[in-house]
Amino acid sequence: MTEYQNQLKLQSHLDGELSEAEASEVVSLLARDPEAVALLAELRQTSEALVGFEDGIRLPESRDFFWSKIQREIEGQHSPAPERTSPVPWSARLRRLLMPATGFAVVALLALVVTRETGSGPAQSSVETSLADSGALVYHDFSARATFVWLAYPADDEFSEEDEGAGFE
Amino acid sequence: MRCKLFPTATLLWHIAVVGSLGASVSKAQGADLKFQVQLVWATDDSRPPTGKDYKPVEGGIKSQLRALKWKNYFEVKRIDFTLAAGSQKRVAISEKCELNVRDLSGSNVEVILFGRGKEVARVKQALPKGEILVPGGNAPNETAWLAIVKRVD
Repeated sequence: MTEYQNQLKLQSHLDGELSEAEASEVVSLLARDPEAVALLAELRQTSEALVGFEDGIRLPESRDFFWSKIQREIEGQHSPAPERTSPVPWSARLRRLLMPATGFAVVALLALVVTRETGSGPAQSSVETSLADSGALVYHDFSARATFVWLAYPADDEFSEEDEGAGFE
Repeated sequence: MRCKLFPTATLLWHIAVVGSLGASVSKAQGADLKFQVQLVWATDDSRPPTGKDYKPVEGGIKSQLRALKWKNYFEVKRIDFTLAAGSQKRVAISEKCELNVRDLSGSNVEVILFGRGKEVARVKQALPKGEILVPGGNAPNETAWLAIVKRVD
C-alpha cells in the first residue's frame, strides 16, 4: 500500500466509510506506524474544526414560501399593467367618433364634387328610347356629347303648306 | 400632441367638415336643374327665311351638331326653364310640338316629344351638364328642324 493510499484509507476510516476488512487493516497500520496515528489525529482535528462550516445556511422562512415569493415576483413582471380607470374626457370620446365620420365625409364630398363636375352618371351608357315613329333613328356622337333622335315627324307635308322655317313657330 | 393641446379646434374642424357634407348633400338632393331648349332650323342657306330674324346658333352648339350635314343652324326659339329635383315640365316649342322633360335620379332625364298632342318619342338617358339631346326631323326643301335640349346646370 503506497503512502498516498494509506492517507486515503485513514480519511475514509475517519469518515466511517471502510468495510470491516479494510478497517482492520487500518487498525493494524495504526498499531505499527506512529506517523499514521499522527495523521489520523490531525485529520480528526481538522474534521472537527470544519463541522460548524458544514451546517447549511438556514432561511428565515420555509423553502416553499421563499420560492413562491420569487414566482410571484416573476409573474408580476410579465403581467400587463392594469388599465387606467380614470374617466375618458368627453372631448376625446367625441373626437373618437368624429374621426371616422370626418374621413367618410371627405371621401363622400370628393365623390360628390367629382360626379357633379364631370357629370358622369351611372346610366350614362344606358339609353332607353321608345319611338312611336318606326322610321326614327338614334345616333350618339360621343365626341360632341350629343344624342340625336331623328324622326320622320313632323313629316314634310306638315310644313308643306307653309314657308321654310315658318312651320316651327 | 396638437390634439391634446387644441381639442376644441380639432372638434370644430371635424364638425365643420361633417356639416359641410350634410349641406352639400342636401343641396345636391334639392338643387334645381336648369335646362335650355332651342328650336333650330338647319339649312344650307346662309340666311334665315325672308322676314325672319333668326340668329345663328352659338359656336359651341354648332360644334356639337357637326354630325349633321347642314351648313347653317338658326335659332328659331329658345326656352330656359328650371326643373325641381324629381319633377317634370312640359314646354311648347311650337304650336304643334311640345317637349316634356322629367328629372330622374342622378343626371338622368326623360324627354318626351309630343306632336299634335300625341307622343312621338320618349328618350331616357343621362344628360350631364353640357351634353345635348337633339330630337329632330326633316323639313321641306332639304332643311331640318331640331329641338335641342341642353342641361345648363
